[in-house]
Amino acid sequence: MTEHSKQAESTFALRCVINGEAQTIETTASARLLTLIRDELELTGTKRSCDIGRCGACMVLMEGEAVNSCLAMAYQCAGKSITTIEGISKGGFDPIQQAFLEEGGFQCGYCTPGMIVSVKGLLDSNPSPSEDEIAEALSGNICRCTGYGGIRRAVTRAIEGRMLAK
Amino acid sequence: MLLNRENSGSRWRIRPDGAGKVTGGLVYLTDMTAQPMLYGLVLRSEHPHARIISIQTERAKQHKGVHAVLTHRDIPGLNAFGIAHPDQPVLCADTVLYVGDALVAVAAESMELAQEALELVEIEYEVLEILEDPEKALLADAPQLHKGGNAMHRTAFARGDVDEAFKQCAIVVEETYYTPRQMHTYMETEGGLFVPGEDGRLTVYSPTQHGFMDRMQLARILAVSLEQIRIVSSPIGGSFGGKDELNVQPYGALLAIQTGRAIKMHNSRQESVRAGLKRHPMRMAMKTGVDAAGRLLAHQVDILSDTGPYSTLGAEVLNFATEHVIGPYKYENLNVKGISVFTNNGMSGEFRGFGGNQAIFALEGQMDRLAERLGMSPWQFRKLNMRQKEDLGPFDQPIAMTEGAERVWTAVEKSRLWQEKTLLEQSAIAVSTDPWLKIGIGAAFTMHGAGLGVGIPDPAGGRLQLAADGKIEAVFGYEEFGQGLLASLEQMLIEQFGFGAADIRMIIGDTDIVPDSGSTTASRATAMMWKSLQRLKKPFTDQLLKEAGAIMGCQAEELQLREGGIGKQTNDQVLLSYADLASKAIFPISSETSFSFPTSPTERVGAHFMYTYSAVVVKVELNTLTGRVKVLQQYHAVAAGPVINPQGYLGQIEGGSSMALGFTLLEDAVMDKGHYMTRNLDTYLIPTIADQLGLVEVEPIEHLPEQDEYGPRGIGEVGSVTLAPAIAAAVRQASGKWVTKLPIEPEFLQETPFFLTGASGNDRT
Repeated sequence: MTEHSKQAESTFALRCVINGEAQTIETTASARLLTLIRDELELTGTKRSCDIGRCGACMVLMEGEAVNSCLAMAYQCAGKSITTIEGISKGGFDPIQQAFLEEGGFQCGYCTPGMIVSVKGLLDSNPSPSEDEIAEALSGNICRCTGYGGIRRAVTRAIEGRMLAK
Repeated sequence: MLLNRENSGSRWRIRPDGAGKVTGGLVYLTDMTAQPMLYGLVLRSEHPHARIISIQTERAKQHKGVHAVLTHRDIPGLNAFGIAHPDQPVLCADTVLYVGDALVAVAAESMELAQEALELVEIEYEVLEILEDPEKALLADAPQLHKGGNAMHRTAFARGDVDEAFKQCAIVVEETYYTPRQMHTYMETEGGLFVPGEDGRLTVYSPTQHGFMDRMQLARILAVSLEQIRIVSSPIGGSFGGKDELNVQPYGALLAIQTGRAIKMHNSRQESVRAGLKRHPMRMAMKTGVDAAGRLLAHQVDILSDTGPYSTLGAEVLNFATEHVIGPYKYENLNVKGISVFTNNGMSGEFRGFGGNQAIFALEGQMDRLAERLGMSPWQFRKLNMRQKEDLGPFDQPIAMTEGAERVWTAVEKSRLWQEKTLLEQSAIAVSTDPWLKIGIGAAFTMHGAGLGVGIPDPAGGRLQLAADGKIEAVFGYEEFGQGLLASLEQMLIEQFGFGAADIRMIIGDTDIVPDSGSTTASRATAMMWKSLQRLKKPFTDQLLKEAGAIMGCQAEELQLREGGIGKQTNDQVLLSYADLASKAIFPISSETSFSFPTSPTERVGAHFMYTYSAVVVKVELNTLTGRVKVLQQYHAVAAGPVINPQGYLGQIEGGSSMALGFTLLEDAVMDKGHYMTRNLDTYLIPTIADQLGLVEVEPIEHLPEQDEYGPRGIGEVGSVTLAPAIAAAVRQASGKWVTKLPIEPEFLQETPFFLTGASGNDRT
């Protein structure tokens, strides 16, 4: 967060859990979660692309649900548990990440962290989604490179992988 | 055999850059920071065309946290850039020609302070008449945007006498086609970090498709020697041609030098839309005639291309379009003319397909109309007229001969989807129970040139070396923007040399280290890496084995390269690791090669030598109530020589076709009076996963003539070219309407529901 907006708005201590660790961040109520993650915590796996919640590159999990961090303000994060792509990667590759690697569900990779976050949010709440449910859950994540073929194959493989792991 | 994971076996590999991408650990150049660091922003024109009366920066300079406010007066060197013809001002001095024109650059301690400083800059303009229609820009009384006039570039190619030939034709089809201002929409917007060093050098960390070109252009702007600048340019979050030209680099570089501090720049999406390149909108008027047997006798084309305010590669794109509106067919008489026109619209420039997308949409539209008028199968009609393997290229130039055209044609002819079209025509299969849903199947065909073409320097090359730690280093001046260049390079090193992935270190995208391998554009990089490795294989292998032989006390001929090191041909063991070889070798082991992309022996500027052939069949469902077209299935046959990297190849065709789907059904950066009507991804819609639910099958045709020495052809662009006319043909079958304008407007295909007209739901005409 910047000097200027700190002065323009009174600050508060945001207490939340990010990737399993309790954090206290001095910020303003309207600071964007995306900025806090990238600039304050230097977790740059979460990407900035449209800033209006359309592309999904900045997706994080808040209490397990995928949200656009560019649209989430600091006050909305108070007391919440937030997981970024770095959190998903903590214990080695998640089966979803493994599936993306094996199926080639990415090219330039810029949308990939947000995409994987959205897949995780989907499969954690709905382990065997239909094609329509997958499309619904991922239609807020834009990928310009792959044409989504590799992503769909990766999601299918991830679903199978998670089923087998159980 | 279809290209997929199952059919690829062990050749289907996990990409070397994959782990960093799926974990978010890969640091993109726009993720980089430095301490201390300033933020750079650019003030752009409020008007699409105006004279600048004054620029007042005093208040901005006095604003807190502001370290520099630069105008045209602060540029030490050439106040212009442009890959082919530098006519775009870095910072405008007297006139602005589009809404992306830059006037002032600021550096401040935060993004917000930089933004406030921009708001304190006062600019007085005299608004001038806007040229938004390229046709009107050519009128004698139009304001002239450049000294040379508004006709930026003209092309012409003629053979025989079309006027006379049209008189002999049994059927003549005339149509005018329009294509949209498509946006690249790379997910990572332009940006980077600009770091002045203590040694006086500047390091630029910013995406580009040709680091050495950026270095040359920046040195020219800064008035410093090339050696004073280092460009680090990969990894890149997508480019598609859009980051080949300079974007934020001049501003970051100027601000860094001026302030002596590191400068971070990262365009907002709005800024990217406003300033960035788009695909050239084109109007293509075509008149094409056949004899009664269906042979093409005459083809006349007029291309009008809206290139926007400055040149960049507008001339080269028009050259490409001129070649590709002739394309894969033979005509006795030809008359093609093209003109690329300056306007006050957004910047048009390089974009995947490079003018071929527009050209093939129009050309294939003509072929479908002619076939229908003749009562012939559109596919048989193409067979009758297409270039055979011994034939010359579109400009009558010699080309690298392949059977690609015939083989992709045959693949489509035999495809299940094309056979389904025949059944559909005979009403032999049930289509849909919902009378407002209509099915259509269509196909299209293209030949797409690779490389920059005759008359443009097109260098290539690279280096292999054994590093001190024993890694086999492959050093190339190419860029990784997602296409899988590193994966393809790794796979070639493994398959052609016998190295293991762990033996290899790939180095790209750093002008201090890599040789100038030319640009990563024009579907050329994989072909040029393949050729480089062919040339390096013997000298580099010989050096490794000779040194190994000296160390091991045996003849080089007894040895071979293996995963992990060197062994004897008589058994599978590794007897000398690459690390041991490196530590014991007396001489440095390194081989470098440089050559040029092969060109056709012709004088014709822009003519290509190597071509990829592709044919696409597509099945669509048209909802006549909404006018929306859903692409249900696609089959792509692509003849581009050997598949170097199966996953990358499939990804390029699938991804390219998705871009083509957007071009055909969704995308247009609409402008009104020189202003973008769309500013972000809420109104500029590209395909989402919900638009891409249909099956996409890709069939690579690897066959090349025995004597072929050129190897893999490019596949980076062709996937984005052939789908649009195939969808248009399918829409014709579904709706009975000919599409002339992309993207297809739903209103154009909407029909009054049968329950309002009183017609029977089964009444299909």
